[in-house]
Amino acid sequence: MVFHLHKNEIEVKRQPKVSNLKAGFWESIRSGFGKNNTIQVIETPSSEEEEEEPLPEEFVLVEKTQPDGTIEQIIFSSGGDVDVYDLQALCDKVGWPRRPLSKLAAALKNSYIVATLHSRKFSLGEEGNAEKKLIGMARATSDHAFNATIWDVLVDPSHQGQGLGKVLIEKLIRTLLQRDIGNISLFADSKVVEFYRNLGFEPDPEGIKGMFWYPMY
Amino acid sequence: MAVAAAVHGNYLPAKFRRFTRTTLSQLTSLPPPPPLFISTNPNDVNPTHLKNLYSICNHSSHRFPKLNSNGKVEPVDIDKLKKALVHSYVVVSVFTRSEFVPEYESGRVFGSCGDWIGKVVPVTPGNGELVGFGRAVSDCGLTAAIYDVMVIPSLRRRGIGRKIVQRILRILVNRDIYDIASLCSDQQKPFFRACGFGDDILASTTMMYTRSASTHAEGEQMVKSAGRKLLLVPSLSGNLKI
Repeated sequence: MVFHLHKNEIEVKRQPKVSNLKAGFWESIRSGFGKNNTIQVIETPSSEEEEEEPLPEEFVLVEKTQPDGTIEQIIFSSGGDVDVYDLQALCDKVGWPRRPLSKLAAALKNSYIVATLHSRKFSLGEEGNAEKKLIGMARATSDHAFNATIWDVLVDPSHQGQGLGKVLIEKLIRTLLQRDIGNISLFADSKVVEFYRNLGFEPDPEGIKGMFWYPMY
Repeated sequence: MAVAAAVHGNYLPAKFRRFTRTTLSQLTSLPPPPPLFISTNPNDVNPTHLKNLYSICNHSSHRFPKLNSNGKVEPVDIDKLKKALVHSYVVVSVFTRSEFVPEYESGRVFGSCGDWIGKVVPVTPGNGELVGFGRAVSDCGLTAAIYDVMVIPSLRRRGIGRKIVQRILRILVNRDIYDIASLCSDQQKPFFRACGFGDDILASTTMMYTRSASTHAEGEQMVKSAGRKLLLVPSLSGNLKI
């Protein structure tokens, strides 16, 4: 372990050979012995490794001015917090069956990537009063190394047909492939098979099919 | 004899008991496996042994693996394997003593008493060989996907694979996750069907990203290799219809 004092932070550079579990154990011992007991153990990846988690991103995707002068921005964000009530409302809008909120929250928290689209509407000069609304989401679960599955892709009906769904999926694929995760799968409703085909997905490639567990009581 | 066993509540005089066991197992065509230790602790898995198991089972981490001239897949990347183990919600590993595993036969010579100590001491991950594995990835709330279920070839068709899947299912159901999927090739489908899996009740289509440089080349594009596929990485700016 190498400690570098940098302003008020203490960075711990992990050597690649030490496993995650061992590093955590020794960190907890060392932090107890430190002079400053408010040491925060920051797990920074070593320079040779790729970042473990996808870096959170947020940027304005589209900005358009309405005829009445109001500006609408579509903001893409990944890794940010999603309000589970907003998501529930969006799922209602697209007609999906309701799911328990606690499960939804847990699923969002433990997904590898959660990409969202928000719409911000404000009048010129009143950017502070902008109303922000969740209009799209897509998430992917992964083992961070080989496989990823995309679940829950949805765009607000009022904003459909503009290529926003395409942006969400392309961003997910881009992030996954950049992290060397090559097996990207999803289970598409019959109505959206064409949508995904246009994005580069193939149905049942080489006979690979998803099977689901059905408990027999 | 199976009926007789049921009537007697599975307790029969000794001269009949041996007979029923063999006929029942012949009926189910699953001879019992050797003594096993099934672990759900990811720390019991030695990544090097696991990588070895992948090779013996000729199992690839890629869905579309590159095969060499002997039909063997590339060895799995051990660093990625370690990462995958850390981030798998459920990890099941199966161990047995090496004398039951022809692939690991060490050719030991026993004395007149035989290896009775070995037979008495129960198998543990420390003294056994890794012969089976399975894992599941989940969002810990709604869905889970099972990957990389494998059993060493010499011990197949003895119920070990089914035990692995059942252990994974039991853990997931205990944690309230019922939407459990598994991507299967044609060869794997009968196995999962026997474990209680079926086609999606909502008739969804399984799709995978396969857009490759060869099928959709557009000048300078970034590609990522995944097994034998060279997957195209979507470019940053999409054309948005405003």
